[in-house]
Amino acid sequence: MISLAGVGQDQSLSYDERGKFIHYEVVEQSGVSKVNLSARANRFFKQKAKLLKMTSKVADTIMQAEGKFIINKTALVLNRPSGEVKYNFYIECRDDKYRFWLTDFVFIPYQRDRYGNFVASTTVGTPLENEPGKLNAAEWKGYINNTGKEAEILTAQFKESMADKQEIKPATKSRETISTKKW
Amino acid sequence: MKLKSLLTIATLSFASATYAQEATPLQLSGSVDTYFKYDFAKTPNIKTYFASEQNSVSIGMIDLALKKSTGKASFVGELSFGPRGQYESIGNGPDGNSFHIQNLYVNYAFTDKFSLTAGYMGTFVGYEVISPVANFNYSTSYLFGAGPFQNAGIKGSYVFSDKVSLMVGLFNDWNVYQDFNGVSHVGGQLTVNPIEGWTAYLNVLSGYSAGAGGTGTIFDLTTAYQVTEKFKLGLNAADYSVTNDNGGYTGAALYPQYAFTPAVSLGLRGEYFNIKGAGGASDAAITSVTLSGNIKAGGLTFIPEVRFDNDEEQYYQFVKSNGSLTKSAAQFSLAAVYAF
Repeated sequence: MISLAGVGQDQSLSYDERGKFIHYEVVEQSGVSKVNLSARANRFFKQKAKLLKMTSKVADTIMQAEGKFIINKTALVLNRPSGEVKYNFYIECRDDKYRFWLTDFVFIPYQRDRYGNFVASTTVGTPLENEPGKLNAAEWKGYINNTGKEAEILTAQFKESMADKQEIKPATKSRETISTKKW
Repeated sequence: MKLKSLLTIATLSFASATYAQEATPLQLSGSVDTYFKYDFAKTPNIKTYFASEQNSVSIGMIDLALKKSTGKASFVGELSFGPRGQYESIGNGPDGNSFHIQNLYVNYAFTDKFSLTAGYMGTFVGYEVISPVANFNYSTSYLFGAGPFQNAGIKGSYVFSDKVSLMVGLFNDWNVYQDFNGVSHVGGQLTVNPIEGWTAYLNVLSGYSAGAGGTGTIFDLTTAYQVTEKFKLGLNAADYSVTNDNGGYTGAALYPQYAFTPAVSLGLRGEYFNIKGAGGASDAAITSVTLSGNIKAGGLTFIPEVRFDNDEEQYYQFVKSNGSLTKSAAQFSLAAVYAF
């Protein structure tokens, strides 16, 4: 898979050979078998079940999940969602290394409904690579940049999980009780 | 020093409590809208909402909505100021208040599937709404004007699956902050998503309004299907009857919309609306065709629109520019709606 950095873009997304935006990385994980890496990837998907939905195994070694980022407009302490970006997350594991890529980004604008909640205005998204036209160019660039940032955050968490750095949960202190039987 | 320590502890406690409650930032959103309307008979013939003022650059409303979630609890408060949100939709109160509440409710999600909501809410009935942001056409349908705008009440919603959910509630009379004959209406909404992109709402609302001659019951189907990336089809059909021969209405509106680009769309609304005659009077039917464009530039949407209405029974008494009665009316409008 070839990826090219998008010219003139300040987001972290690149273009793949299909002309689609992609976040692509190859990570060396010496001493870890393919089976273990696959298990770690599965664990990550389970942890992020609300955000990432495992859809299928494309091949024996490639896993696929669907996810979405919520794109927010923020000003000081106030914010509101502008829309969501759906994407596909692919992972391929081998002994001692794995690669993953996020691609097929489509933007779905949100619209305020009759109850004052922001909901998707359509079910069919617009590919993020599409030219939005001059009128909406600035907003569209913002969506691309936000997607790049969200992809960075998610993939950093993914790589940490794949490195098997478990969070140390604080030990719960057992409640002290007083025996009323012995006195 | 002691005071500083106390303040630090208080701040940390507050921060911990906030974190534990998973509070989301306060959401602020809203819209403003303005329009120019010109009826070709030089008098405002078409009496639907909201592009009502003839040959004038007029205002709709400024709408301000706040939303906040803390854990499983949330609230929405939405106020509007301006003709569209005030006397054009609901009359001002006896104190002559100069604003209108669009939404004022609290919600508690007991589980991922079950939630309870209480307060004053946008109606669950119908395709079109008061807010200009959620409507494709700027002028509204007869069905919208005849149905409820808002319902105060308490409702429970249960999500059975990705494809089916149900809402059941007890409500006040239509469009009132206070019900003077008790909580008098019962309503429900069955939401079905048969396939991706297709959502259908089957609505019913029934009750005896203060001062009414009978029990009014409305059955309503509101549905939309995103057929392709560019083509969307919407439908609204409703029947409303008041017992003891107190009239009602029946109607249907079809909404085909085509997006040439994400920023430019064209949509048609074709409507048939029949007013049921009360007290033995005959029915009156009207048909209407509205063609609207949506041109988006950032938060701004321009809506150029032409509309043709045909009133065979001359129920609405359309007139020509010379004042004589006619069966048809036509208007052009250009609206600008900014959503933030």
